[in-house]
Amino acid sequence: MTGYSENAAAQLRPGLWQTVNERYPGSMIHKGDFVPLARLRKPLAESRLSFVSTAGVQLKGTLPFDTVHPVGDYTFRRVPSVSKRDELEIHQLKYPTHGAERDLNVIFPIERLQELAVEGIVGALTPNFFSFIGYNMDAERLERTLAEEIADAVVADGADVVLLSPA
Amino acid sequence: MQRAVEQRGIPTVSITVALDVTRHIKPPRAVFLPFMMGHHFGVPFHTQLQRHIIEAALGLIVEARESGEVRSLPLTWAQARKQGTAIEREMKTEISRP
Repeated sequence: MTGYSENAAAQLRPGLWQTVNERYPGSMIHKGDFVPLARLRKPLAESRLSFVSTAGVQLKGTLPFDTVHPVGDYTFRRVPSVSKRDELEIHQLKYPTHGAERDLNVIFPIERLQELAVEGIVGALTPNFFSFIGYNMDAERLERTLAEEIADAVVADGADVVLLSPA
Repeated sequence: MQRAVEQRGIPTVSITVALDVTRHIKPPRAVFLPFMMGHHFGVPFHTQLQRHIIEAALGLIVEARESGEVRSLPLTWAQARKQGTAIEREMKTEISRP
């Protein structure tokens, strides 16, 4: 870790975690331990990559996430990994979307991931990517339900490696 | 969530723009970028940067030896925005060219 990035991070978000936790008790997760690392079972070029995002990206025409519910929306959507950029839309209220509105890849890089598969950098993409909204005030419920459901879905889709983007 | 996937035997890596939150959550592997929320993979139309970030994350999957490694990339938001502006200027020039 470089000194510069540490400083940049501190300047950008000093004490954010404590502030949010004071305002919304129980909404943030704190873990005291690390989970053991899983290992790649085959090279990346033979591995199937999945993507999990909290950006609220979903196929147009699917039930929009409930972005105004006070405790959040604990459902997820499958986003077919072959989707075109203009088939997708964003339903969320909690991060700036001015970049994503012009190029969705800044938060949901579906085209870059498709390119990696075509070029053989990864073996394939899972049939689906997985999407939900980050605004969920009950962290314990999220861990108990949504996190387990998505983890099961990722396994069912045959993922060998997973990229996540908590927006 | 990342921990739940890792515990099923699948290696994971996340992209974060909130280092202090990440430190509390203790994901198995993460790549930190000092970028604006909602712009984890950079700026619009900067395909090279978007790809670089993904490849760096995949690199960490291969290289990480200990759980909890957070790798910072030597990038800045100002630099990314400047490059993005130049790319968009070039795109406009190409469109207006006869």
